[in-house]
Amino acid sequence: MSTWRDLVTASLIGTERAEVPPAPVPGVLTSDPARATQDPAAVLLDRAALLTAARRAGRRHGQADPPPVAEPDSRPVVSQAAGRRLARMLGGEYPELLAEWLAAAAARGLRPPPELLPALLDRIRRAGPADSSLSRLAAEAGGPRARWLAGLNPDWELITAQHLPADDAWRLGRTAQRRGYLASLRARDPGAARELIAGSWESAGPDERVMFVRVMADGPSLADEPLLEAALDDETAWVRKMAADVLAVLPGSALARRMTERAVRCLRIERGPRGTRLVVTPPAESDALMRRDGIAPGAAGASSPADRARLMLEVVARTPLRTWTDEFGLGAAQIVTLSSGDWAPVLFTAWSRAAIAQRDKDWMAVLLHQALTGWTWRPPGLAAEFEALRQLARRADPAVLSDPGPDAPQVIREATRLLRFRYDILRELDDHDGGD
Amino acid sequence: MAERWNRARVLSLAPDTSSRQAAQSLAAVRSWPLTGAAEGGALWGECLGRASTPYRTAVDLSGPAYQCSCPSRKLPCKHALALLLLWSDGSITTDGDPPEWAEEWFASRPARAGDDGDQKAPADPAAALRRAEQREARVAAGLAELDRWLCDQVRQGLAASQRSGYRLWDDIASRMVDAQAPGLAERLRALAAVPHSGPGWEGRLLEEYALLRLLVTAYGDRVKLPPELRDTVRSRIGFTVRQAEVLASAAPVRDHWHVLARRDLDQERIRTRRTWLRGRRTGRFALVLSFAAIGQSLDDSLTVGTVVDANLAFYPVAVPLRAVVAARHDTLPAGAPPGISTAALLAGYAAALGQDPWLDNWPAVLEATPARAPLPCLFDTVGAAVPLHPGAGECWPLFAMSGGRPLTVAGEWTPRGLWPLTAWDHDGMAVGPVPL
Repeated sequence: MSTWRDLVTASLIGTERAEVPPAPVPGVLTSDPARATQDPAAVLLDRAALLTAARRAGRRHGQADPPPVAEPDSRPVVSQAAGRRLARMLGGEYPELLAEWLAAAAARGLRPPPELLPALLDRIRRAGPADSSLSRLAAEAGGPRARWLAGLNPDWELITAQHLPADDAWRLGRTAQRRGYLASLRARDPGAARELIAGSWESAGPDERVMFVRVMADGPSLADEPLLEAALDDETAWVRKMAADVLAVLPGSALARRMTERAVRCLRIERGPRGTRLVVTPPAESDALMRRDGIAPGAAGASSPADRARLMLEVVARTPLRTWTDEFGLGAAQIVTLSSGDWAPVLFTAWSRAAIAQRDKDWMAVLLHQALTGWTWRPPGLAAEFEALRQLARRADPAVLSDPGPDAPQVIREATRLLRFRYDILRELDDHDGGD
Repeated sequence: MAERWNRARVLSLAPDTSSRQAAQSLAAVRSWPLTGAAEGGALWGECLGRASTPYRTAVDLSGPAYQCSCPSRKLPCKHALALLLLWSDGSITTDGDPPEWAEEWFASRPARAGDDGDQKAPADPAAALRRAEQREARVAAGLAELDRWLCDQVRQGLAASQRSGYRLWDDIASRMVDAQAPGLAERLRALAAVPHSGPGWEGRLLEEYALLRLLVTAYGDRVKLPPELRDTVRSRIGFTVRQAEVLASAAPVRDHWHVLARRDLDQERIRTRRTWLRGRRTGRFALVLSFAAIGQSLDDSLTVGTVVDANLAFYPVAVPLRAVVAARHDTLPAGAPPGISTAALLAGYAAALGQDPWLDNWPAVLEATPARAPLPCLFDTVGAAVPLHPGAGECWPLFAMSGGRPLTVAGEWTPRGLWPLTAWDHDGMAVGPVPL
């Protein structure tokens, strides 16, 4: 070994200044009298060649510290097709659908291919603590193998270690950790979580209060209403807006009732000799009570037609969708096909937002179906409508998938592509025994 | 010159409508201050564009294959198409030698080697012999120059090489290209990375220099070498043996060849795919190479994890690994191949080095468990460990698949460690060649 080091040292310095050390290899005759007069550099290289071959051929094995063995996971691995799709998503295709893939795999009692776990854990780490639900889904789908892997790499430790010491997390943790603690407390004991929020509200800063409302946004109940209703008068605009959003989707809340009253004044059904149609009378202007309920006033000159249309959209978007089925005595599928003239894009956008916020699967499905099949007579026009369509395609049941044809507008084709991707996710996960 | 293609045939090569249109407007003689064509189907030209220097475009009609200095990733780009259009309508004269940049590319075109099977024996044996003698003389002169250069490096000291840029190796590599010793050129170009390869670089550089001088010496003494070793030396220098000769010279070996692993390497203008096989009956390893221009796809007919019933013809060298598929009979599904111990791997490599001291990629199929400490490594059932190649990265997917239990791993054993390429999970399903 030292022989080789000596040769390397001499070569680093150069044979102009360094002697060429002898480099005997046991069993090999190296001294060649004919070469005694040769260039020392050549001699060094020849000795190094001999030693290189000898060292490579004579290499010995080393020792290892065996890692712990992962707990077994009895769940089968997803189909190969599903694994390839997960790899594509981790490679950047439709990354926003990762949570859906993970949840669907876990719900079917399947696990991801182990070789993709490192990329998955890296992805969660990059998403950061803000996406704690993704991290929870990954830990659940990844199972014991993901936990084992995270134990080998400090970068991944936090992802699977969801359980911080409770009190420390609340007293000393950063906002993300406090939120994690509060969310888990709320899952265990909603009353205790509510008391903790109520007790901390006064001394909490704006970011903290936003966090409180966010925690309550996850499955709100009427017991949360007093806190949320009080938050409508908060000094911070963001807190007010978030609280209004949560109350709007809370069935039976006072805000939802106020919104319903406004909405039914704006939209009524008219059954006439030429058929049934919807008649829209948008709100004249925004008042203080509307502002308190989360509907921001428009720019100056607030009663322009455009501003009234926006108010109309905001009101309907925050109105419980049951209002319409009850009021009109029709199903969602019939309501969305009613003629409403120029108001159709506004109503489509508003109902889509309401369906997404209220997580109403029926409405999402009929709205998306309507958009994908009805574009020939009413192609989408508003930017807000495009966005609503994208959001619907991301959330609605992919079974509404239909072929819009090659001439469809781009936004329709994109929505269809997204929907097909989601459809394939579920199909491949259901097909886990078939392999491919 | 190859038979001229008509316009429609050229346009059918366009990857899309826009390149077709762009090419047609570019196919004007005034945009092309320099064009030329050579016997055997080579076109070249310089096209004036918006850039300050003209784009350099070359087409090898035998592929067809394209090379262009423009940034477009389309293949063929509009310049290559325009050049073909000019040739198609007779605007390019067939005479003169290609400029150096085109010559270099044509010379490096591996597809020509791939076409060897179709090439007929040289028409004029005397001329062929004369060319062969000229080449030997050029190579001998080139090797003498390389020897002086190697000795100069060691005389001045390798410490200087860490400061010199890649030009140090690029220049001597280009001279080896001129001397028609492309194998040496490739080895030399690869050395530019060594001074930046982490601790121990000086030892690795000395090893490579020493082995290069060993090649020089061996070539000088070639008449005294056994024929297989002489062929080994010649092939390492860059003398190619035509596939037709390989197929004619040796009886092909029929076996069920397990497709163990593959590795793709992108060099300057060439992508090389190394596919490793092992015969189930003979236990022989084989290496099948395929080449493609950057941007073109590589041969995908040998699928990792399957077994191919085929006749392989081996190149006649001291350690016959490289082979061509002479005939293919069937492809069968397969589980994991039998793995060996660390000791057997090292012994096999040592024996091979005895035949070919330049061998630095040796096929490995181990039954082993990955561990991270003290260094990332694989250890076998008796605890004997070999390191993983530092260049292979963290190898997290390999760890994730193992879960702390042994698995079958195929890869390339090198003096720096094992580069894992394929792993078989506990169900015998091959995973690779994802980065492991």
